Amino acid sequence: MPDRPGISAYAAYLPLHLLNDTRLGPGPSLGGRRCRSVANHDEDALTMAVEVAGLLGESTESAPRLLVASTSAPYTARTAATLVHEALGLSAAVSAVDLAGHRAGFTALDLAVESSSLAVASDTRLTRPGAPDELGQGDAAVAFLGGTAAAAELLGRGSRTLELLDRWRLPGEVVDRTWDERFTADVLVEAAGDAVRSTLEAAGVESADIVVVSSTNPRAGAALRRALGSDGSDAALEAVVGFTGAAHPGLLLADALDRAEPGQTILLVSAADGADAWLLRVGDGVRTARRGRSVAELVARRQPVAYADHLRWKGLLDVQGPARPASAPPAAPPMHRRRGWKYRLEAVRCADCSTVTTPPGKACAGCGSTAGGKPELLHASEATVVSVTQDLLTTMPVPSVAVVVADFDGGGRLSGYATDVAADDVAVGARMRPTFRRMWTTEGIHNYFWKLRPVEGSDVE
Amino acid sequence: MSSNRMIHDVAIVAMGCTPFRDHWTSSADDLVVEAVNEAVAGVAGLTLSDIDAFWVGTQGSGMSGQTLSKPLRMSGKPVTRVENYCATGSEAFRNAAYAVASGAYDMVMAAGVEKLKDANVSGLTAVWPPADGSDVDWTAPAGFSLLAPAYQSAHGVDDQTLRQVLTAIAVKNHANGALNERAQFRKPVSAETVEKAPRIAGPLGVMDCSGVSDGAATAILVRAEDAHKYTDKPIFLRGMGFVSGSGEGLATDGYDFSTFPEVVEAARVAYEQAGVTDPATQIDLAEVHDCFTPTELVLMEDLGFSERGKGWRDVLDGRYELSGALPVNPDGGLKSFGHPIGATGLRMMFEAWLQLRGEAGKRQVPDAELALTQNLGGQPGSCVAFVAVLGNALGGEKR
Repeated sequence: MPDRPGISAYAAYLPLHLLNDTRLGPGPSLGGRRCRSVANHDEDALTMAVEVAGLLGESTESAPRLLVASTSAPYTARTAATLVHEALGLSAAVSAVDLAGHRAGFTALDLAVESSSLAVASDTRLTRPGAPDELGQGDAAVAFLGGTAAAAELLGRGSRTLELLDRWRLPGEVVDRTWDERFTADVLVEAAGDAVRSTLEAAGVESADIVVVSSTNPRAGAALRRALGSDGSDAALEAVVGFTGAAHPGLLLADALDRAEPGQTILLVSAADGADAWLLRVGDGVRTARRGRSVAELVARRQPVAYADHLRWKGLLDVQGPARPASAPPAAPPMHRRRGWKYRLEAVRCADCSTVTTPPGKACAGCGSTAGGKPELLHASEATVVSVTQDLLTTMPVPSVAVVVADFDGGGRLSGYATDVAADDVAVGARMRPTFRRMWTTEGIHNYFWKLRPVEGSDVE
Repeated sequence: MSSNRMIHDVAIVAMGCTPFRDHWTSSADDLVVEAVNEAVAGVAGLTLSDIDAFWVGTQGSGMSGQTLSKPLRMSGKPVTRVENYCATGSEAFRNAAYAVASGAYDMVMAAGVEKLKDANVSGLTAVWPPADGSDVDWTAPAGFSLLAPAYQSAHGVDDQTLRQVLTAIAVKNHANGALNERAQFRKPVSAETVEKAPRIAGPLGVMDCSGVSDGAATAILVRAEDAHKYTDKPIFLRGMGFVSGSGEGLATDGYDFSTFPEVVEAARVAYEQAGVTDPATQIDLAEVHDCFTPTELVLMEDLGFSERGKGWRDVLDGRYELSGALPVNPDGGLKSFGHPIGATGLRMMFEAWLQLRGEAGKRQVPDAELALTQNLGGQPGSCVAFVAVLGNALGGEKR
């Protein structure tokens, strides 16, 4: 435990797409300038958790614990964090646990700072077509590593727990139900006010330079931002991303850290099923503590998705597919035996001829040697497309999907699906990099594996 | 390492082949009985009990040798079921040939059968062992369509030209199939029909794909020295090669998807055994595995019929049409005759049988003496490949 608990590294992830138009037919657009963040059809809270935690790289290896917070975990009974743990290649001695519920996003960060652990908060948020907050919910993921206060030092914290029926969802349901927010907002605002007072007292300060407010309840959020003196940046980000569930406090904090100067103080408030607050002092290493793109860059790189595609991706529009059987569900023993390959894209480099064989097996695909070799991690490498096709009979919720064969720069080949790109926009010679996605779900088993997405200019760091 | 011509030469003395169709009123059992009966009836006085052993190939329409013995209610005979992807029919033939060549049996039968149309899906299905879920769920057309951009890239062929080439292959094979009563599709198609078909994988449309159908085919094999006891016009196996690929094309970098190395090697072995030194001029006709139009294009080069990178030009020049210098798929090929997996390799031989005996009617290639059949399964980068050279005379010096 460092003397001054804090955040040593952080990363944020927004999926590639945004939704800004929810018209089902002709007529004026209702969204104004609002939009929401939209995960691709092959993304869920778990894949986005792997994506964002992967940005932290080897620094995660020191964490004694992995905490994964979400309100949209792809399984309800089994632990999702174990898969993130496997994908990161963390030591088996590192514990991994899920946190659920709207409050869990902040709690994960708090526990991570307290115990120098890794917190990942990741959520996909769904509403029914026509819901008042259809553009008010969004998909995002963040990762924070507790430890030395390179990014920020925790000066004080405060919490208020209360029992309140504000925003909830039954098991098996996909969208939240809400109570009249004119009631719930008042209760949350009062709790948050108390939590903030405790926090400032603990830190021994009167106020903060930067105020960041996250709330499940938009009315409470707006009231708190006014009362506490937010400059509006948190509301502005929320307006173009939506409320991103468990990821939201971390996403707003990441954006604040992206722009803050060392020495400034940040008051982070989360009003969700009670209230939690932090007072942070921005560290001298804040710029290098960020891994991957800034939140502003993530917001700016997005592309609009057609409303019909969004509905189809999210399973809200059932489109007739091809007369083709569902893709086979994976089986537990082969997944376990090949977990290095499946979750980390770990191939093998031949001891005799240096050829990289995928998937790894006893014999080298180059020379046939069964002498074995060394593990070769491919998930962070770039690859070049050797050939490509488009499957127009895909059972995925898209009209067609590109399937590519690509060669990694250091050797090794992957036949895989392309994603985050139109099927016809992948050509021989294109540069791609792996991304962890959900391939399909059959017989109640989600099948996760690596796909390939185009290398973007900002991937080069 | 060697792959020798067999000590004893082998001949085909009778064959059977059902029409390839949507056989809604026939089961796999019915089809195999029909094809067996046709072959047996081809030799005067022959009965099923005269045949010593059987090999039956099916990809998914049966399990075990009982795929054949049960529908025939045949007792006391050895039957081996084989499976080797879409080369299953050829594999049944290959094993049957070795059985008579070895002297273990005097007369054997190779059979192949597939019943695809009872499944309520458009293409092929297969049951794979439980796996880790990391493989692409390829459709067959998607896997084979990888040939197209790779071929273009390797040989500098533009999109429009490639389309013309693929269309020409489809039009040719349908024109041939239109002359064949046993073919699944018996109507010529226009270039426009091919090119306006719904797209299903990469540049491939429905009309770039082989026909999904039901069917069965059979061959009765004996040692060459015995052949004339059963028919005046046997055909002789002059050479054959089979390669099961390592799958390296999908497992490591290097392979460029513009060729089937497995086919090249299988052809080399078959040509060597058959004494073929210049296939482009010595082979009179070829039945090749045109599962998808780009496959036939690439095979023209892999089999040595066209120079590497020039196959597309030869296709456009009409070299492989029925009236061309080297007719390819005169019976319509997989494209028009149809592709019931287990039967296809033997269906190819059935056309060689007719052509080499001068019995191919309107499709007859004049003076056909040497025919090639080429059958493959899997997908580019990871496949199994079979090539046979068949002649109407024994030819060549015995080893």
